[in-house]
Amino acid sequence: MMRLVQNICARSALVALILGLWSVAYAHSAQAEPQHGGTLTFAANPEPPMLTSALSTAGPIQWISGKIFDGLVSYDFDLDPVPELATSWVVSEDGKTITFTLRDGVTWHDGEPFTSADVAYSVMNIWKEIHSRGRNTYANVESVDTPDDLTVVLNLSAPAPYIMNALASIESQILPEHLYAGTDPQTNPANNAPVGTGPFKFGEWERGNFLILERNENYWDQPKPYLDRIIYRFIPDGVARSAALEAGEADMSVLSTVPLPEIQRLGELDHLDLETRGYDYHSITAYLAFNLEKEVLADVRVRQAIAHALDLNIITNVVWLGFGTPATGPFHHNLDKFQTDDVTIYPFDLEKAEELLDEASYPRDENGVRFSLSHSYLPFGQQFVSLADYVRQALSKIGIEVETVNQDYGTYVTRVFTDRDFDITTFFANNQSDPTIGVERFYWSGNFKPGVPFSNGAAYQSDEMDAILERTRTEIDTDARRQAFVEMQQLAMKDLPYVPLVWVDMVTVYNTRVKDHTTGALGAYSNMADTYIEE
Amino acid sequence: MLASIPASNSVEPTRSGFWRRFARNRAAVIGLVLVLIVVAMALLAPYLSANGPWDMVQRPYLWPGDAPGFLLGTDTLGRDLFSGLLYGARVSLLIGLVATATAVLIGTAVGAVAGYFGGWTDTILMRLTEIIQTMPPMILAIVIVAVFTPTVTTVMLAIATISWPAIARLVRGETLRLRNTEFVQSCLALGMNDGRIILTQILPNCLAPVVVTASVMVSSAILIEAGLAFLGLSDPDMMSWGLMIATGREALRTAWYIVTIPGLAILFTVLGLNLLGDGLNDALNPRLKER
Amino acid sequence: MQSRTLRYVGKRLLQGLLTIVAIAGINFLLLNALPGDVVDVLAGEADVADIAYLEELRARFGLDQPLHQQLLSYLGNLAQADLGYSFRYNEPVLDLVLGRLPATLLLMVSAIILAAFFGIVLGVTAARFANRLPDTLISVLSLLAYATPVFWIGLMLIVAFSIKLTWLPSGGFSTVGANLSGLSYVADVARHMILPTVTLALFYMALYTRIIRASMLEVLQLDFVRAARARGMTRRGVAYAHALPNAILPMITMVGIQVGHILGAAVLVETVFSWPGMGRLAVEAVFQRDFNTLLGVLLLSSVLVILTNLIVDLVYARLDPRIELG
Repeated sequence: MMRLVQNICARSALVALILGLWSVAYAHSAQAEPQHGGTLTFAANPEPPMLTSALSTAGPIQWISGKIFDGLVSYDFDLDPVPELATSWVVSEDGKTITFTLRDGVTWHDGEPFTSADVAYSVMNIWKEIHSRGRNTYANVESVDTPDDLTVVLNLSAPAPYIMNALASIESQILPEHLYAGTDPQTNPANNAPVGTGPFKFGEWERGNFLILERNENYWDQPKPYLDRIIYRFIPDGVARSAALEAGEADMSVLSTVPLPEIQRLGELDHLDLETRGYDYHSITAYLAFNLEKEVLADVRVRQAIAHALDLNIITNVVWLGFGTPATGPFHHNLDKFQTDDVTIYPFDLEKAEELLDEASYPRDENGVRFSLSHSYLPFGQQFVSLADYVRQALSKIGIEVETVNQDYGTYVTRVFTDRDFDITTFFANNQSDPTIGVERFYWSGNFKPGVPFSNGAAYQSDEMDAILERTRTEIDTDARRQAFVEMQQLAMKDLPYVPLVWVDMVTVYNTRVKDHTTGALGAYSNMADTYIEE
Repeated sequence: MLASIPASNSVEPTRSGFWRRFARNRAAVIGLVLVLIVVAMALLAPYLSANGPWDMVQRPYLWPGDAPGFLLGTDTLGRDLFSGLLYGARVSLLIGLVATATAVLIGTAVGAVAGYFGGWTDTILMRLTEIIQTMPPMILAIVIVAVFTPTVTTVMLAIATISWPAIARLVRGETLRLRNTEFVQSCLALGMNDGRIILTQILPNCLAPVVVTASVMVSSAILIEAGLAFLGLSDPDMMSWGLMIATGREALRTAWYIVTIPGLAILFTVLGLNLLGDGLNDALNPRLKER
Repeated sequence: MQSRTLRYVGKRLLQGLLTIVAIAGINFLLLNALPGDVVDVLAGEADVADIAYLEELRARFGLDQPLHQQLLSYLGNLAQADLGYSFRYNEPVLDLVLGRLPATLLLMVSAIILAAFFGIVLGVTAARFANRLPDTLISVLSLLAYATPVFWIGLMLIVAFSIKLTWLPSGGFSTVGANLSGLSYVADVARHMILPTVTLALFYMALYTRIIRASMLEVLQLDFVRAARARGMTRRGVAYAHALPNAILPMITMVGIQVGHILGAAVLVETVFSWPGMGRLAVEAVFQRDFNTLLGVLLLSSVLVILTNLIVDLVYARLDPRIELG
């Protein structure tokens, strides 16, 4: 509830009203009896390349495969684990063994029993080997013991407290050993037609058009799931997605994939409502990164000046139409176990910005220009285009000329992270459920890896920062770990290799007949076993 | 595109006859006026509007007429749509004109050389033309712009690349016809060199159909630019009408005026250029007009 | 005569084949000038944080080979009708592209038919009433249809017919999950087709109207038409029975020339209406660096253009005996 209240304060009155209504509706529906039957249709974009999150964590894959697979655990709104395939778990005193007890009587969609061997195979052969983030998350896992069919023991070389935050089905997906062992996991045909344990089974996929999931009649959590089927309709045009929702041809869209101006309008319609919870596991923050390898930007005063010249309220309210909160630090406020406001802040102040630039001896020339910067923005929707327009206008006021580069995703990733042919870049990134997994990558000098997308693109290098980050990785005492992260945020805002811009609120648009779609941190990325349709 | 309807044999009209015929054609005059208005908007942009096209000067989503001084309202970021329209005219016209001029230059050169020399020169050049024309132009333009990242220059380059074959074919046809006329043959007999014959005898006689085609090509260039912008392939530092549409597209249903205003600007410009093209066609081909 | 036609067809097909190879080569090189490859895109989406893993992927996809070798092996595969593998969609490109072809063909063919039908009716009407009110109205209408950006028309039609009137679906190929079969399926697809077809057809309708009008005016002056009129045929009868068959030739030429153009315009229409066709596949392939797929689309559409032009020429020769194939 705390977060809800916070959000209401931060957002426009209109959305607040809708949320208010929502909470009333929710309180009401919580009493209502879930009904069986019905089809839930998503307006989806983009289409995923395949359907197994264990091999690629691209958003659309997570969103679809999260229904086909269960995780060892799921997460509630406070990002605390709740049982799913694991009924209980114990982390040892020294943090170096984690023991899971698995649910009895669970079967894969093809009828084979689900056992500890599946988990062991997935940890050692998939997550640790080929999962994009898992290669870091599970790096400390030395071996997995399976004393019996229902017990899994992870043996770690050093504590890894973030593992317990990474076990959702969309992040650490358990693959059926009997279909994967001995094959090349990358080319396994099951990647496109997965066999999971989840509430929904893969049905039919007509590429470029739609994908259907069917109800798993033998789901372990009877009488769930309530829905008969889930349909994903792939609609490439944002306004067309909105039209499908408005016309009732689709029931839901997630992750603000409907254009924001449309979301505002749809929220006012009788049959549609908005939901901004359920993105805690993603926690998306927008940043502006400086390329510290450029001489001008290596000067912290220049970076501070730029931070002072950007009005985060305008960015939040005009560019993101109020769907977010001006960021004060690198951690999304969803991560409130770690996030602090006790950091250096850079209020909007043009005079201060000019002073800093003068001090750094970059005077204005006869045209009033101090220097110019090339700005590459993440090509991901209209917000970044608008943001780029705003950045250019805002920086021109302090004598910095900005040349904006529009490019497609492939070119962007290559230019910024491989060729490093940029001065500033704006992008957003998942903070994930734990800063070690989602934020550390931008600040740790060991992750300055040209060629790797969304690595330490600023080329930020600080021994002090590295030492703090290394502490956060192995500290098993919750308070001490939080304290280390507080120091990390303070240093991040002092050195300012990135200006955190907005803690973005992603929005789910849903038809009011769809109930219980957002019941935890995963929101509509969960398995949706609880979701039902009220006719 | 409309003018790729083959212009029939041109009889060199006298200048006064041309103007008389043109002025008698009401549609052509309307077209000319429309085009002149757009040109005036482009040239006078800084004098007609107090704001730059990028300045965030007012509350976003201001409808036309909502606030004094903002005749056409503001866009999603609170920028003056009127000044966007004026400065957009510059960029859209620039793209249309330069892309067309480039296409005409390449197309004329290729067409004249192919038609004049014939033989394997003709075969190779026409094969090349055919190769380009075999690919769907919009997709080719998308690929070119994406390869070289979207800027005004690459957009013009892409449009020129997909447009020149039409001119080349037109000029080649005319050249083939002219090459066998008596006056070219007599020039050859007099020992005039090929370059001079092409420049002084052939090209001037191709001028009429090329001008007609070009005027319409400018309009399709403007449409292609808008289409590319719709797909997100436009120069972010240059306010064109296409970019304005792309910016407002997501707000289409809530604030349709943002997309409608540059859309109408495109419509009237394309309309004007086509009416003008038709008028030129009629005026330059008096025989057609007599019907 | 028969063997002559066959020889002509053979020659044209051979030329077409050369064109295709040239297109494959040019585009292969053009696309490889793009910064970034499919691995960059996949890695960016999936938060891959490991260079070794990226290299593994590149090796798997054969992207670590020198460019000329990649080109050679691509052309070699092409000779065996193998368009390569889409690492993006985890599917052979040929299957992928052929899977999208029917939707695009359906859209294109119905748009052309619609455009031609109304183009003829409006064009003939305009010619019959040349320089009078119906002519002016039709001219204004077709100019407007010609001058309006195609995606804008599409969006407006969605607002009007899907949202305000709720008569027609706003996009897609058929009602997903409805499990229709037989006639009801056909009817369902037809309903989904109406808006995209109309959107795509309007521009070409404008074009055909103008062509038909112009050539009708020309043909109506000819002696045999005047003679038919003198024999007492009605104006309308003359127009449709005598003048039209002759006036229609330039339009058919235009259809042939413009197959590629229509395919290109279909990109925009398919995007607006989420029509699962080749055009959309091409755009997505550009943005996702799925070069094999993009090359596949370009090649297949080139084949389409070449074949259509050939058919148009053959039809043309049949309609107009004065033309000789050669």
